[in-house]
Amino acid sequence: MMGQTAAAFLGTVAFSVLYGVPRQYYVYCGLVGGAGWLFYSVLTGCTPCTVTEATFFATFLVVLLSRFLAVWERCPATVFLTTGIFPLVPGAGIYWTAYYLVTDRPAEAADNGFAAIKAAFAIVLGIVLVFEVPDRFFRTKRKHR
Amino acid sequence: MKVKDFHSMDGHAARESGRLSMMGVYREIREKDVMSETKPKQDDNKVLEAAMEAGHILLENGAEISRVEETMERICRHFGVESESFFVLSNGIFTTGSQSPGGQFAKVLHIPVKGARLDRVVAVNQLSREVEEGRYSIEQTRQRLEQIRRMPGKSFRIQVLSSGAGSAGFCYLLGGSLTDSAAAFVSGVLLYIYVLSISRFHISKITKNICGGAWVTCICILSYRLGMGENLSQMIMGSIMPLVPGVPFTNGIRDIADGDYISGAVRLLDAILVFLCVAIGVGVMFIIYHRVFGGILL
Repeated sequence: MMGQTAAAFLGTVAFSVLYGVPRQYYVYCGLVGGAGWLFYSVLTGCTPCTVTEATFFATFLVVLLSRFLAVWERCPATVFLTTGIFPLVPGAGIYWTAYYLVTDRPAEAADNGFAAIKAAFAIVLGIVLVFEVPDRFFRTKRKHR
Repeated sequence: MKVKDFHSMDGHAARESGRLSMMGVYREIREKDVMSETKPKQDDNKVLEAAMEAGHILLENGAEISRVEETMERICRHFGVESESFFVLSNGIFTTGSQSPGGQFAKVLHIPVKGARLDRVVAVNQLSREVEEGRYSIEQTRQRLEQIRRMPGKSFRIQVLSSGAGSAGFCYLLGGSLTDSAAAFVSGVLLYIYVLSISRFHISKITKNICGGAWVTCICILSYRLGMGENLSQMIMGSIMPLVPGVPFTNGIRDIADGDYISGAVRLLDAILVFLCVAIGVGVMFIIYHRVFGGILL
């Protein structure tokens, strides 16, 4: 699990380079991505949470962290959010859907596709909910410049 | 004296001269008005131009609609422009400004969807905050925006390497072994070389992403056949990750949450289209492999 979290960290940092995130935020992006994945794998591995629920809660954590960092670093939350959410994006689900579709196994394809859509909606819900929290909540420990 | 003069003139001339003197007064008043208002009015246009420039940079590089609107508002408020209004869509900004001597300020900017450069978003955000603190004049703001627009991107090599690193990381994350990750690194690098070289041509996103998905699958099958990597699926999943449209996806969600349905829907559509096209590309390559070499992989 630790190895995977490190991989999530590395992957997120790599994508933040790709998206042109300023250099001083690389580590934060990586930490957000790593934390999201760690939480996700703890939830799926150690609790009775389904994949969808785990995705939802992990997204919740990722967006919370992004917003907190955004206030802390005085920069848009988008920077941490877009890169930090990557480990949770149901890329694997989409791959398996395509795979089962072309190998002529429609039942599995439907299952995987449906799971991917559920995960995507969990992400949507997580993002929308956390952005309803007013800014004040994150402003408790504002960085002084 | 004057009155007498008036009386001595015939009616027409008197009326004419009266009108002339009235016009004179009127012109004087207007000139005074203009004298006191020309400068700020001239600046109004400059402020609106600068605000649109800021909005342009933000929109082009992956900011949410509400941020674009808010930044433009902030710049206008700070420089004292009150009666402007903006309409921001995912690929265009429409602005009208207050009446100035030269007429209304009205401008439409079409902004095609481009890749995300979050450093520019951060820079404009920082700039708008500094403008609010009164650190820049309007001229300096415009110069600063021009600098932000010219901010250099990452070099070819760094982009390609980070794509490879990202692919390797996500391959491992999704359950691949270390050899799989090494193979994913190679295909991630090759994928981004393809992405960067194809971006010079005008090819539709659909074709681009189908070919991208197929290209990645081709490389992964090849390295799998050559004995590099043992889990083909994980390799492919990892190395298609650089194609995943992260910015339109999250921004689309946020726009819809903010009530900007048109822009949000367009961005989500963009993201879903890319997702589907990549999946189609992967599927097509599997079918080709199956037809040419027979047998199903895995």
